[in-house]
Amino acid sequence: MIREFSRYGMVWTVALFILAAVAQPAQAMQVEELIHHIDELWRGETSQANMTMTVKTRRYERSMTLEAWSRGKEYSLVVIRDPVKDRGIATLKVIGNIWNYLPKINRVTKVPSSMMSGSWMGSHFTNDDLVKESTYEDDYNSSISFEGERSGKLIYEISSLPKPDAAVVWGKVVMEIDQQTLAPYHSRYYDEEGALIRTLSFDRNKVIDGHAVPMRLSLQPEDKPDESTVILYQNIKFGVSLEAGFFSLQNLQKRR
Amino acid sequence: MHNLATASPFGRLFILLFIAWRNIWRNPVRSVLTIAALAGGLIMVILYASLLEGMTRQMVQYATEVSTGHLQTHRQAFMDDQDLYATLPWPYLERIERDFPAIHIAPRLYAAGLASSTATSTGVLIKAVDPEREAEVTTMLSHVRSGEVNLGIADTTATGLVRYNVVVGAQLAKNMKLIPGSELVLVTQAADGSIGNNLYRVAAVLRPLEPNFDRMGVLLSIEAYRQLMYLDSGFHELAIKLDDIDALSGVQAALDAEMLTLQVEHPLDKLGGMAVVRNWRQLTPAISDMLQLSRSMLVLIGLIVVGLASLGMLNTMLMAVHERTHEFGILLCLGMKRRWLLLMVLLESFFLALVSAVVGSMLGTLLARYLEEHGIDFSASMPDGYDWAGMVFEPVMKGYLEPGQIVEACLLMFVVTFFASLIPAWRTVRLKPAEVLR
Repeated sequence: MIREFSRYGMVWTVALFILAAVAQPAQAMQVEELIHHIDELWRGETSQANMTMTVKTRRYERSMTLEAWSRGKEYSLVVIRDPVKDRGIATLKVIGNIWNYLPKINRVTKVPSSMMSGSWMGSHFTNDDLVKESTYEDDYNSSISFEGERSGKLIYEISSLPKPDAAVVWGKVVMEIDQQTLAPYHSRYYDEEGALIRTLSFDRNKVIDGHAVPMRLSLQPEDKPDESTVILYQNIKFGVSLEAGFFSLQNLQKRR
Repeated sequence: MHNLATASPFGRLFILLFIAWRNIWRNPVRSVLTIAALAGGLIMVILYASLLEGMTRQMVQYATEVSTGHLQTHRQAFMDDQDLYATLPWPYLERIERDFPAIHIAPRLYAAGLASSTATSTGVLIKAVDPEREAEVTTMLSHVRSGEVNLGIADTTATGLVRYNVVVGAQLAKNMKLIPGSELVLVTQAADGSIGNNLYRVAAVLRPLEPNFDRMGVLLSIEAYRQLMYLDSGFHELAIKLDDIDALSGVQAALDAEMLTLQVEHPLDKLGGMAVVRNWRQLTPAISDMLQLSRSMLVLIGLIVVGLASLGMLNTMLMAVHERTHEFGILLCLGMKRRWLLLMVLLESFFLALVSAVVGSMLGTLLARYLEEHGIDFSASMPDGYDWAGMVFEPVMKGYLEPGQIVEACLLMFVVTFFASLIPAWRTVRLKPAEVLR
């Protein structure tokens, strides 16, 4: 989840801010640099956050309190703090692999690649959302498809199409970003046929380290209008010091 | 000739039969070879029919006895997309058990999950059964390769965690390197949205039953399932076995009616849909299509084999007729009626076919009996059996001899040989005595 957040919240914001500060080159150049900055900036980043995830389905609604750490795009660790039944269940992601630690049985299980499209912790996010290794610079061709006022807000709309040989699941990703605060509003995910699959909305911006960061992410699957997953950040810190060793199987078991 | 002309129609037929029989043995070597060809064809057809029947029976048996049962009931949403919440309430089970004393029923529950051993992880199909009821309906739990089927509590770990026994499919055990006694972790999303997880002990590995279960199946008790899934509302599937398979359609209709009554008394939630009763043909359409197809195949193959053998007979009869052209000419001159001559040639082929039928069915029956007893054993090359039309068959291919099929095969041969013998018979009829006697 942290990755979702840092990609669309923090990273876009910073990248666009830098972009806005430089002189105005041709638009193609703008996008190229923008994407380059996104991927570059995002890689070095570390973060630590506390959040609440609320999953609403036709059958139940449940909230979980999570603590998450991330380092670049390769490493992340999410631990469930609440409810009691799931307390201590942790998900570790290291370079494309996911492990779950289950405190009740004190075992670490690896999520096989065949389960990557399965739901992560019962939410509408998939395991793949957690581990996807794609970057916008390498895997997508992005362009500013709209620039101006929409629904009373000045926005940039960025459309990203996957490159022909990229191993990504989406056919197109379209983002709307506020021109003033440079915080994203929406990110819409389309399949290869161009049908909208899910919408990730961002709101409740909070200024952290001088950037507007949305504190709430709502994922809405298109085929299930009465279901959603909402992540609400209580707090988030960037630039915390985390060694790569923090994201290890030993640490996974130790942290319970 | 005098006798033939004055005899009564029956007497005439008797004389013709006698002459035809004598004619066959005028060239015994040729006739024996022809009979051998026809009888060989018949034996082939009988053996083929017997093997096909054996496979069909095994197929029907597997389709019903091993895991499907004769009838099954599910909710619509479970049939559509294995909706975890589309359960039939437990009171339904008791009511059906009470109202239908002549049937055996077994409730089942399913879930998708992730199984992990120390070596690897893989997606699995979790299947919960009631071992006692299951044993009355299917033989699933008796197809054991190793270990002993026991779905009870295995032990309690040092931290007070209760480990239940599970039984796994053959291919899954191979892929995950599981043997009886191995530990297995199951992780899944429980009905309340929490992360269901627990430790289990592999009690037994089953022999191949059906490809899906072999590859992904983990079998546990309903109690163990409840503790993993937090699903108490009911069961997903009811497998039903009838004592009398002939009552299938009647029981199916009665169950349909019962379901409607029950749905009025214990209303089901809307999301899961209605309860649906299906029979094994509807549940395994591939198999019932296969049965249809194998019948047509049998007739076709029979026609080809007997047709080829009949070509041998055709040749023999043409030769016999050709050799006796002169003789036939004399017979015609002496006042033999052409239709008697025709009948005589037809009777000769009939005798050839008759002797072949007797020899063929006797040898065929003997060989088929042997196949029934011993079968064709492929277990050296395929110890797990073979997989055809979504079913796993035992590596020993056994025949099943149905007496009706021998009769049918013989009839088929008589028909084909009759048509083949029309050609030489027709040539006799068209003989011109003046020409052939010259």
